[in-house]
Amino acid sequence: MKHIVKIMSFLVLMSAVWVGLLQASIVPQSYTWLLPLYSIVSLGCYGLLMVGVGLMQFPTCPQESLLLQKDIIEAKEFLKQRGVDVGSD
Amino acid sequence: MELADRAVGFLLSFISLSIFTYYTFWVIILPFVHGDHFVHKYFLPQEYAILIPVFAGVTLLSFLCIFIGYVMLKSKKKKA
Repeated sequence: MKHIVKIMSFLVLMSAVWVGLLQASIVPQSYTWLLPLYSIVSLGCYGLLMVGVGLMQFPTCPQESLLLQKDIIEAKEFLKQRGVDVGSD
Repeated sequence: MELADRAVGFLLSFISLSIFTYYTFWVIILPFVHGDHFVHKYFLPQEYAILIPVFAGVTLLSFLCIFIGYVMLKSKKKKA
């Protein structure tokens, strides 16, 4: 239950800040009405950006891939000699 | 293999950045510009700045609910 309490309190804090901004009129009121929607859209954009950047920077380790293939072939031969069915050949 | 990954990642980040700049321009900068500036031609009327994200959010939520309901129904049918 403690995690949902944290989430709820964060939401209440955000709405209190928003209502306070509405009342105080530091920024023009028409902006304050659109602020939650703008934050949601920008949060979605940020998530998509992080996914794209992570995809671009993903390391592939080609040498490890070759060593892994060799290990797989070795293991398959070993098991076939012992009589275990290794499947896709 | 990794070139395809890079291309998809680049496409995703490009889409997200363009959506972000377009939306920021639309919501924040455009109200300060005069009514008969030529830039207003490239942006839809301001009501759409609210309608399109809300519509997308509602579509996403309903798709999630449909998917969850479908999976629940399928698992119940397999058990019975």
